[in-house]
Amino acid sequence: MARHIAHRLMISLPVLLGVLLIGFLLLQVVPTDPATVSAGPSATQADVAAIRQQMGLDQPLWVQFGKYITRVLKLDLGRSMISNRAVSDEIALTLGPTVELMLACLIWAAPLGILLGSLAARRHGSWIDRSIMALSVVGVSVPVFWIGLMLIQHVGGAGLLPFQGRDGPLWTMAGLKSILLPAITLGSVFVGPVARMTRTSMLETLATDYVRTARAKGLAEWRVTIRHGLRNALIPVVTLIGLQIGFLLGGSVVTETMFAWPGVGRMAVGAITSSDFPLAQGAILILAVGFLSINLLVDVLYAWLDPRIGTAGR
Amino acid sequence: MSDVALDLDGAAPRTNKPAWHRLVKDPIAMTAAFFLLLVVGAALLAPWIAPGDPYASNLRVRLCPIGSARCPQFLLGSDQAGRDMVSRLLFGLRATLMLGFTAVAIGGGFGATLGLLAAFYRRLDAPIMRFADVLLSFPPILFGLAIAAIIGTGLNGLVVALCITAIPSIARISRGAAQQVMHQEYMEAGRSLGLGDLRLLWRYLAANTWPVIMIYMTLQLGQAILLGAALSFLGLGAQPPTAELGSMAADGRKFLQIAPHVSSLPCALIFLLVLAFNVLGDALRDAFDPQLRQ
Repeated sequence: MARHIAHRLMISLPVLLGVLLIGFLLLQVVPTDPATVSAGPSATQADVAAIRQQMGLDQPLWVQFGKYITRVLKLDLGRSMISNRAVSDEIALTLGPTVELMLACLIWAAPLGILLGSLAARRHGSWIDRSIMALSVVGVSVPVFWIGLMLIQHVGGAGLLPFQGRDGPLWTMAGLKSILLPAITLGSVFVGPVARMTRTSMLETLATDYVRTARAKGLAEWRVTIRHGLRNALIPVVTLIGLQIGFLLGGSVVTETMFAWPGVGRMAVGAITSSDFPLAQGAILILAVGFLSINLLVDVLYAWLDPRIGTAGR
Repeated sequence: MSDVALDLDGAAPRTNKPAWHRLVKDPIAMTAAFFLLLVVGAALLAPWIAPGDPYASNLRVRLCPIGSARCPQFLLGSDQAGRDMVSRLLFGLRATLMLGFTAVAIGGGFGATLGLLAAFYRRLDAPIMRFADVLLSFPPILFGLAIAAIIGTGLNGLVVALCITAIPSIARISRGAAQQVMHQEYMEAGRSLGLGDLRLLWRYLAANTWPVIMIYMTLQLGQAILLGAALSFLGLGAQPPTAELGSMAADGRKFLQIAPHVSSLPCALIFLLVLAFNVLGDALRDAFDPQLRQ
């Protein structure tokens, strides 16, 4: 298990470095020279040079990159070029809604996917199985924005539910109503993959010796399915759901933008289209780091849930 | 010498008759294949078969619904600038397919080469696979965002982002398939004949791996098109007035209540396109590669 986690960490490090490099590059492409800006319009050439030196802009790029990393570690991500607020403050404001949206999506889509997947595996080869699998192919093929557009047109347009922005925290009625459409949109593309993974994993488990033993013992079929089948099949499913967070992230960027949900994804798109480089850098950085930490967490969880992982090599 | 090599090539099963038979008998896969043939043909011929100019606007017939008497010249209505939807869909299809094919051909080709090299040269295996792991650790959407942020929004950045996302999964698949080929006796035979590395790689390894790679490229095409459309929808890819399905869908969403066809037609087309690639890819995989079904 330690080896397994060490391996994951080893991969995560270059990824992290790559992410930081992207962030650093983003600050390099800023079209205006930060030294000239902070020196003011009346500054002489010498003044600019002095400020340049003071800001460390005359040093080689790799030294600047090192300094950038230490700044990021101190959560100093610069200031937004448009609102002039600290990027870390902007992120703190948007991170909550993004996490909220992802959880609101997972809470209904993951159980439904697991249910459909188990059902398909139980009725392997039947029309139920085939229709659930057909549904899951449709689910991975449909553009998430089309589902969003249809919901906006038919449900939002009819005035049944709000579809613009977040009307408050989740525990208020208004807040709960405003998250419904985005959560349905995002979750609808997530059910298919989860159902598919559950079915595969469940089929494998149902073919094992201990399930046959349980059946031979004369246990009721539903008991075999749930206690022996699903419980063991869920271990890989939990991991796979975790690994699909990246997929979910892509959907959430689109969903947030469509529904004006004040999350990190919408902020990233807005910052990029308005050339707010420091803000774009911060948003991309936090999305990548969030994704990496979830993956790492899922890996550790997997190794902990299933002791066979990582010990097999020994 | 080359005769011997040819014989050996022939010894390896390149075509798999029962698999083709299974595929041809699958009505759903055949429907998908037929649809794709039709759509690719229409996209290729767009400049000749489109009824009009996809960029010619006529503000007097803005947002004309499908089949309205106001615009009998437009089969599928018009968009917010009074442009013919049929022509825009055809050209949009062309742009979207071109994006997908370019990305998968370049990114997938690069990935496939990496995978073959990893299987062929043992010492390259670990570094290449770690590189693929690193690329896989980025969610695809982040490549899109980061590249759009660095080199600006537009089609160039979009192609680069789609290429990069196609590399790691194809590299993994081709390495797996190539490793199986490496265990075949004809590889050993070719080596003992004193064939050079390049020849072994190309004539033996690549020649016997490409069917599997092509199957996964089909599946990857669907993903690339979906991601490209999403990025264009976000305004990070194709820019208006370019006829591209994703940006057309985004353009039309301001008129959702009065003229839903402007955005729903391109959306539906993207969906059918991706669905057809996924269905065909799944069927190909099931027919030719039963071991890799998962």
